[in-house]
Amino acid sequence: MKQKPRVAVFDFADCEGCELQIANLEEEILDLISFVDIVSFREVMKEHSDSYDIAIVEGSIMRPMDEERLRGIRSHAKILIALGACATMGGVNKIRNQWMPEEVKKDVYGDANLKGNELFDVFQTKAINEVVPVDYYIFGCPIDRDEFKSVITAIALGKKPDIPRYPVCVECKKNENICQFELGAFCLGPITRAGCKAICPTHNSPCEGCRGLIKKQDTECVKEVLERYKLSYEDIRRRCTMYNYGRKECSYDE
Amino acid sequence: MKQIVKTITKKDFSSFVNSLINDRTYDVVGVVAKGKRYVFDTLSSAEELQLDYDVTILPPKKYYLPQTETLLKFSLEKPFEGKEIMNDTPRIIIGVHPYDIIALEQTDRHYLDQQQDNFYKKRRESTIIIGVDIKNVSERSFVASMKTNVTDSGFDLLLTDIGTNYAVTIGSEKGNKLLEKYAIVEDASSSDLKKIITVRNAVAKKYRQKVNIDKKNWSSLLVANYNHAIWEEHSDVCMECGSCTMVCPTCFCYDVKDNVSLNLKEGNRVRTWDGCLLKDFTKVGSGEVFREEVKERYRHRFFRKGNYLPERYGFVACVGCGRCGSACLPDIADPCNLINELGHFNSEEDTGKYFIKEETEVLEKGIIHVPRSATIKKIIPFNEIDTLFEIELDDKKPLGHKPGQFVEVSIFGYGEAPFGISTPPGDSPVFEIMVRQVGNVTKKLCLLQPGDKVGIRGPLGNGFDVKTFEGKTMLFTSGGTGMVPMRSLINHILDPKQRDKFKEVIILYGAKRPKEITFMDDVDRWKKVSNVQCELTVDRCEPSECWGGCTGLITALFPKIKADKIDSKNTIAVVIGPPVMYKYVIKCLQTLGVPDNNIYVSLERRMKCGVGKCGHCQMNGVYVCKEGPVFNYGKLKQLPEAFE
Amino acid sequence: MSKDFSVHVEHITRVEGHGNIVLDVKNGKIEKLQWNVVEAPRFFEAMLRGQQYNELRPITSRICGICSIGHSLASLKATEDAFDIKITKQTAILRRLAIHAENMQSHILHIGYLVAPDLFGVGSVFPLVGKHTDTVMKIVKLHRLANEMSDLICGRTIHPIRLIVGGFSLVPTERQLLHLKNRLAEAQDLTKELAVVIQSVADKLPTFTRETEYIGLTSDSEYALYDGVIASTDTGKHPAYRDYKEVINEYIVPQSTAKYAKHARESYMVGALARFNLNSTQLHPVAQEVAHMFRLKPLTYNPFMNTIAQLVEFSHSIEDSLLLINSLLDQGIKQEKPVKPVVKAGRGVGIVEVPRGILVHDYTLNSKGYCTKANCIIPTNQNHANIQLDMEKLVPEILTKSQKEIELTLEMLVRAYDPCISCSTHYLDVIFV
Repeated sequence: MKQKPRVAVFDFADCEGCELQIANLEEEILDLISFVDIVSFREVMKEHSDSYDIAIVEGSIMRPMDEERLRGIRSHAKILIALGACATMGGVNKIRNQWMPEEVKKDVYGDANLKGNELFDVFQTKAINEVVPVDYYIFGCPIDRDEFKSVITAIALGKKPDIPRYPVCVECKKNENICQFELGAFCLGPITRAGCKAICPTHNSPCEGCRGLIKKQDTECVKEVLERYKLSYEDIRRRCTMYNYGRKECSYDE
Repeated sequence: MKQIVKTITKKDFSSFVNSLINDRTYDVVGVVAKGKRYVFDTLSSAEELQLDYDVTILPPKKYYLPQTETLLKFSLEKPFEGKEIMNDTPRIIIGVHPYDIIALEQTDRHYLDQQQDNFYKKRRESTIIIGVDIKNVSERSFVASMKTNVTDSGFDLLLTDIGTNYAVTIGSEKGNKLLEKYAIVEDASSSDLKKIITVRNAVAKKYRQKVNIDKKNWSSLLVANYNHAIWEEHSDVCMECGSCTMVCPTCFCYDVKDNVSLNLKEGNRVRTWDGCLLKDFTKVGSGEVFREEVKERYRHRFFRKGNYLPERYGFVACVGCGRCGSACLPDIADPCNLINELGHFNSEEDTGKYFIKEETEVLEKGIIHVPRSATIKKIIPFNEIDTLFEIELDDKKPLGHKPGQFVEVSIFGYGEAPFGISTPPGDSPVFEIMVRQVGNVTKKLCLLQPGDKVGIRGPLGNGFDVKTFEGKTMLFTSGGTGMVPMRSLINHILDPKQRDKFKEVIILYGAKRPKEITFMDDVDRWKKVSNVQCELTVDRCEPSECWGGCTGLITALFPKIKADKIDSKNTIAVVIGPPVMYKYVIKCLQTLGVPDNNIYVSLERRMKCGVGKCGHCQMNGVYVCKEGPVFNYGKLKQLPEAFE
Repeated sequence: MSKDFSVHVEHITRVEGHGNIVLDVKNGKIEKLQWNVVEAPRFFEAMLRGQQYNELRPITSRICGICSIGHSLASLKATEDAFDIKITKQTAILRRLAIHAENMQSHILHIGYLVAPDLFGVGSVFPLVGKHTDTVMKIVKLHRLANEMSDLICGRTIHPIRLIVGGFSLVPTERQLLHLKNRLAEAQDLTKELAVVIQSVADKLPTFTRETEYIGLTSDSEYALYDGVIASTDTGKHPAYRDYKEVINEYIVPQSTAKYAKHARESYMVGALARFNLNSTQLHPVAQEVAHMFRLKPLTYNPFMNTIAQLVEFSHSIEDSLLLINSLLDQGIKQEKPVKPVVKAGRGVGIVEVPRGILVHDYTLNSKGYCTKANCIIPTNQNHANIQLDMEKLVPEILTKSQKEIELTLEMLVRAYDPCISCSTHYLDVIFV
C-alpha cells in the first residue's frame, strides 16, 4: 500500500479558530485520517514529528522568532497550505499595521522596559506568503469546513482546488437573502471572494471581507455604489481595515 | 380555447391549501414573507401565503433547476460506477405570477428541445402550478409593457382576486382533478368573468416602469448598436457580481463540478447556477478567457435576452420582472432602462441572421448525464505535454462519429473535458484522442494506465459533412492540436475506399516546435500517397533540435502550394488551429481565391455540457458544442466574437 | 533517579495557544520552575482604537476561536452598558442559550479531546478511536450537538454572526427550537453515560491540593454565567462591577506575554471549579447528581478537579437550556429587531462567565460611538499566577517520581486549567508591580 501523506498543523498569532474548525469536522476527522497521517497538531495531540509532507499553517507572523520557525516548517514541507484569514492575508492582525510597532507597543504595554525580550520583539504583521512561498490557500475567518474538505480532497487527488474567484453576491443571491444594502447596511459582499456560502448576509449581517477583496476598494463601480447609497469613502476604508488593511492589489489569482 | 373558470371563497381556498399540506402527497410551496420581501418556500399552513405580493427575490425556477443539484453519484473505489439520482417529490407551487409562468415556458424551449434534460423534465411533469394574477406591482416591474402581465397557458390553475372570492381558471386536467379532490368551488358567473378583466386592467395601469420599444424590435435595435459606446459606459461601473443573472427567471446557464467526500471513496457530480457576467464563465482549461472584458460580458447578457434567444426561439428572453434592476447595486442591469436608452438612437439597420442550427427531432432519451464506461487500451506519448490515448467502449459498440465531432471524457472526482476524436469513422469500438495536459482532467488522464476506466459522452457536436466535399480538391490547414480532428478527416478521405471520390489533397501542418509535431507516422504515410501534397513548418527550432524542414508561421506554407493543382472555386479548405491562426490563414485562402462558403473551420470554446445547455461555449448566440465545433466560414464570418 | 535534571516542555500540547514549562533541578533542589506564556502578543486593545461601536464585537470575537461567543457577549454588554441599552427579555434568554452552547462546546472539547487522552494514557484522541470507539463517539456526538446549538443561536460556532449590539440579527424559529429541545433531552442521558466512563478513570487525576482564592460571578437567581456580581471565596461579593479592578489586579512578568493577576492572596483561580465552589447549590438536579458521583463538594482545592467541575457544568447547561427553550416557546419566539442604540460618549463594562472564568471588556466610547480606550481581562490571565504557585507546591511533592511522570503531571496541571493562551496575550492599562 502507498504510504499515507504525513500532515502537520502549526499555528502562529491567531485565535486558533480555524484549527478548531478542523476539529469541528467531528467524525469526519476519521475519514481524514484514513488517508493522511496527522503527525503534528499541537492543539489536540502530544506527539510531534518534523517529518511531514504537508504543513497546514494558521496565524500571522509577528516576530523574527516566528519567521525563523516558519522558515523551518517550509523547509520540511513539500506542500504548505495557509489556513484562514490570519495566514492567507494577515487578517485582523493587520489592523495594527496602521501604526508603527513601537507606537502600538507603547499603547499596550506602557513604559515597561521590554528591550531585548524577544517575546515582545514585534514588527508589522505579515501574512504567511510575505515570508515563505505558499502552495494553497484556504480563506476565511474562520475557514469554511466544506471548503477545507474540498481543498484537502483536491490536493489528495492531485487536482487544483476549486476556490471561487467571483464575489459573495453570487452565493448570497442563491441563498435568496435580502440585499444588505437594501436593509441600509454596508456590505463588502460585492467585492469579496465567495466560498463562505455568504454566511454573514445569510444570518442578516453584512460581509466584512474576511476572504479577501477581489476588486480594489477604490474602483469606479465601488465609488458609484457608495454614492448611490449615500455612504462615505471613509465607511469602506474603515470596513476594509478589518481584514484587508494594506492589501494594495486584489487577490484575484491567489 | 375557452378555459373553464370557477370561483372559490377565500376561506375555502385556505382550507383547500391546508388540505393539500395535510395530505402530504406533495411538497406544498407558496409565496411567504421574508422581511419586507417575498420568497417561495415550503408552507406549513395556508396563513403564511401572501398572494398579494409584488415580486419574489428569486423566481420559482429554483424548483426546476435548483441552485445546486446532484446529477449523479459515483464511486472512486470501483472501476467505473456512476448512477443518476433524483429526488422526485411531487410539488405544488402556489402563487406564481404570469411573467414567471411565461419564463418557465421559455425555459422549456431550451431544456425540453432536441436533447431534453431529464431532471428538468421530470420536475416539470411532477409539479403543479397554481398561478395568481398580479395584484400589487413591484417598483421595477415593467411586465405590462412586455405583455407578460397576463397569461392563458403554463399553469394548472390560475387565481384572480375578485374581492371576497378568487376566480380560478382551470389550465389543465391535473389542475381540474386537484380542485375536484380537495376544493369546494362554484361555476363562475359572467359578472365574475368581467371582474377578472376589470382587475387585470386596473393593475396594468399601475406600472411606473415602461419599455418604449416593442419587444419584437429589440433584436434589430441591439444589433444596430453592437458597437455602441453605451456598453462601455455602463460596464465601467459594473461590479461583475453576477447578481443580475442569479435572480433572472430566464437565465439557465450552469456549471458542473465533481465533489468528493472526505474519505475519498465516493462523490457527487453536481451542477450549480453560473452566470455569463462572471469572468471565469468562458475560461477553458488552457487558461484562455473568451470574453475577457466586462464590456463584452455585460453586452452578452443583453444580447442573449434581446437578440440571441429571439433569433433561436422566437421570443425575447426577458419577461420584465425587474428583479435584475433591483438587485444591481450600480443599477445598470435593468433591460427596461437600457432598451429605452438605446431607443433614443433610433437605428434602422438590418438585424442580420446568424448561424443557428435548425432544430431536428426531439431525442427521446434526453441527455444522459452518466457517461458510457470505456477502457484505456494504449497510451502513446508524443512529447512532454501531448499524449495519444486509444480508448475502447466497454459495450463494444462503435462510437459512431463523424470527423470533427468530439467526446466528453469523464474521470469521476476530476470532472469532464472535451476532446476531438482523431480516428476516422468506422465500425470499431476503439477510437483515439490526444490529450494535452492543461487542466485537472487532462493531468489526471496522463497518470492513468492501460486498463483503467474512463467515462465517455458522445459523439457530440456538428462534424464535417464529408459527402458534400466529394469531387472537390481538399486543402487542409492545421496548427498545433488542430491536427487532432484534422487527422480524423484526412484519414477518412485518404481511405482507399474513399480516395477516388476526391481530387487533389493538400495538407499544411504547423507546430510551435519540432517536438510538438504529432502524428508523424501519419504524416509520413500521407506524403507517400499519390496526389497528396503534405507540407510542414515549425514556428521556431532550438539549436539542439533536429529539423530539416521549413521554419516560420503556417502562412509561410501557402506559397508552396502548386498553383496548377488548385482549382480555387472547386476547393474545399478546412482550417483547424489555435484562435489566433484563423484570421491569417483565411486571408491566404481568400488570396488563393477559395470562396468563403468553401472554407470550414473548427472552433474551440469552453464546451462543458456538450449539448447546448450550460451556456459556456456560446459565441454570441451560437452554441459551439451543438452548432459547432465545425462551422462553414461563409456563414459564420459575420458573427462577432467568432474570430476576434 | 538522578538528582540533576530538567523538564523543558516547549509549546505544551493539547491546550489553546503557546506556553512553556521550565523546570531545572540541581542536587535535588529546584533551581528554576516557571510557567511561561510565549504566544505572540496581538495588541487587540490597540486594534479597537478608532473602531466604530458596532465593529468592536466582530473584532474582539477574533481574540479567541474557542471563546468567541463569550468575547462577543462581553463586548456587547460593554457597548450596551456605555449606551444604556436595555435588551429585551427574549434577547436575554437567547444570550443565555448562546453562553450555554459555548460552555458545552468548550467543556466537552476539553474533557474529551484534551484531558481524556491523559486519563487513558495516550497522546491524543486519535488512538482512542479504535480502542474506546463507544466513548469517542459519545464525545463526538455531544461536541456536535454543542456546535449545532451554537450554529442555531449564533449563526456560527466560531466567530458568531447573529450577536449584535442591542440583540440578534436573526433568531431561530419555533420549529428549530423544538428540534433543539429534543436533541438536548437525548444528550442528557449521553452525558450521564460519559460521566460513568470518566468516573472509571478518574483515579488518574492527581490528588493534589493547595488552598487558594476562587473568584467568579454570582447571582441570586441562577448559577451565574451571563449575569451576576463578582464574588470571592475569601472576601464575598463585590457588586460595583465597573470597579472590577479592585478585585482583579493585573501585573506583568518578563517570562510571559500574558498578564498575571491577584486579589486577596498571591494568586486566585477562575473557571468551572471556581464557579462550582461559589455557586454549587444553584446547580440543577442532574448536575448535582454528576457532582455527587465524583464526590465533588465546595470548597474543592484540587485544581485537577476543574475538569470534573466542567463535566458538572456541562450537565447543568443542558438542563438550564431546556428550561430556557421552554420559556421561549411559552412566550412565543419573535423576529425582534435589535434595540437601536442612542450613541453617546461614555464608558461601559461587560462581565460574563465564559468557560474558563470571568471575562471583562471595558470600553470608552466618544460621542460619535468610536472607541477611544479598551481593556479586556481574560480568564486565563487570572489563572497564570495560580498555575505557577500550584507548580511550586506540586513539584516538591512529586520530586521522587520519574522525570517522565513529573513532566506528565505538570502538563496535566496546566491542562486542567484549560488555558486559553491566545486570549490571554492582549492587554492594556498595565499595572506595574
